[in-house]
Amino acid sequence: MESVDDIKEQLAARARTATLEELADQGRRRVRLIRAEHIAQMIADAVNHAVQDAGLLDPGQVDALVEKSRAEFHDAIREREEQLRVARVAEEQLEASEQELADVQARFAALSHELALARSELEQAHGELEAARQPADGAEAPQRGGTASPDSVRDMAAELAALKANVAQQGASTSGAPASSVDVAAALDKLARTLNERLDTFGKKLGVSAAVGGDAPVDFGGMFREDVDRELESNMGDIQTKQRAGGGIADNLAKLKKLKGGE
Amino acid sequence: MTDQQGITPTDGGTTETVVGLGKGLDVGTANLAAAVQNDEGGITVNVERNAFLDIPSDVYSKNMLTKLKVPYVVHNGKLVVIGEAAFELANVFGRETRRPMADGLVSPSEQDALPMMKMIIQKILGEPSQPGENCYFSVPAESLDVDNNVVYHQGLFESLINKLGYKAHAINEGHAVVFSELADSEFTGIGLSFGGGMANACIAYKSIPCLSFSVARGGDWIDKNVANVLGVPRSKATSMKERGIDIRDPQSREEEAVAIYYRSLITYVLENIKARFESGQNMPNFSEPIDIACAGGTSMVGGFIEVFREEFAKIDFPIPIGRIFRSEEALTSVSKGCLVAAAIGEE
Repeated sequence: MESVDDIKEQLAARARTATLEELADQGRRRVRLIRAEHIAQMIADAVNHAVQDAGLLDPGQVDALVEKSRAEFHDAIREREEQLRVARVAEEQLEASEQELADVQARFAALSHELALARSELEQAHGELEAARQPADGAEAPQRGGTASPDSVRDMAAELAALKANVAQQGASTSGAPASSVDVAAALDKLARTLNERLDTFGKKLGVSAAVGGDAPVDFGGMFREDVDRELESNMGDIQTKQRAGGGIADNLAKLKKLKGGE
Repeated sequence: MTDQQGITPTDGGTTETVVGLGKGLDVGTANLAAAVQNDEGGITVNVERNAFLDIPSDVYSKNMLTKLKVPYVVHNGKLVVIGEAAFELANVFGRETRRPMADGLVSPSEQDALPMMKMIIQKILGEPSQPGENCYFSVPAESLDVDNNVVYHQGLFESLINKLGYKAHAINEGHAVVFSELADSEFTGIGLSFGGGMANACIAYKSIPCLSFSVARGGDWIDKNVANVLGVPRSKATSMKERGIDIRDPQSREEEAVAIYYRSLITYVLENIKARFESGQNMPNFSEPIDIACAGGTSMVGGFIEVFREEFAKIDFPIPIGRIFRSEEALTSVSKGCLVAAAIGEE
């Protein structure tokens, strides 16, 4: 809708100025007056009528449409801002997870290094054990499993415990550098824990474990009593199975007996 | 340790040798084999295929099977043909046999097969010579490449064999090969059993097993892959493999497929043995070269040991190896080794 000022400008551009005396000379004794605001309203009415007659939206509907569009636009802005906020939170979480992963990987590398050290110490202990055994009994077979015996493994753990105690004692008696001895003790604690875990695993493989019991054979007979105990109709009694002849085992038995110190 | 052989003097002052007590049982995925000493100084091995096939039950079929001496069992209203006959029938009808065991262990999906296995084992073992006779049966070692557990498998067969009147003992399958094939090397070396479901390895020093493990690939793996590439049933692939081909010189597309997968299996087993040795855990040290003995039904194919030696030469094995050979009785070697253990009372 045209503003009133625009109407005034348009009227001023198209109007002629005349004095009252000039109008009187022209025989005009009375004139009709109309305000610019009224003309603006008339124009607006005319436009609305014209739009209505043309089948377009009336101003009310246009206003409603504009208001609706404005509201949708504001909703879209709010939604977008919310998405941005969620994305920022996710990004922060991802950064935190990446940092955590890097920390875990560093710890894994450190523990792997400690494990490699513990393994090499065990292998060394095994070598020493083998060397110590050979003069004592050259014919004796290597122990089942072939690595350090449970005794040498326990000796290593005892030695580590003694070393820890030593360091702790030195730390208590030294007043000048308590922090460093605490650091050393903490590092030894960590190494001892890792070594204990590894020793436990090796011990289980060697058959040495802190657990008790569990060696008794398990009888699964009860699980399939019905299947196995039931007698089934068959002709198996009349059927010969395929037989193959094989070389005797007397030689094998003789050699085994000789190996074990028999006749 | 107790020796179950004995010598009984007769009234005339002469002696006669009593056949040694003890029986060995190879519980294999593809075949079951029971070994017993005979009175001629050798051994007799009863072998039966570890498979069955169910067919509709009627009087005509039952009579026909009996007439043809085909072993069957009536179970859950069906006729179940068991053993080698099931394998042959499956080939004729283009069907697959059902297998009580898979990948070296009793198959959890074939619980119905337990009565069948009991019948086969009872048939091949026979009655014990005396109550509580030792029966050593083979069990696989735990696998490097799959997560399996042999406790249930071992417990099941222990119970089953005890119920037949024997005193059951388990022995590692690779260790049994050591007992049967490495007597000349003071039972020191590597025993390899190439079975249907698995390949088992045992490294032993003077009969003491130092290290045992398995990989879950065997003859069945070859059959499955050959069947896949050729588009045939697995039973057909098995019979192709067993009819006498030479994997060094395949003569047809089918034989080529078999040769390719055999070589792949051998390479896989060798690489895993090498990796196990190099892992350094529980490894013995051998100052002298040791022998490798191969056995098992899967090793019976023509050219096996030559291909094995070819593949072995390609890898840098961490310990010195002397002879590489295949048992002359590859199919029955494990059962023979179990029999040795039973006879000497080994635990």
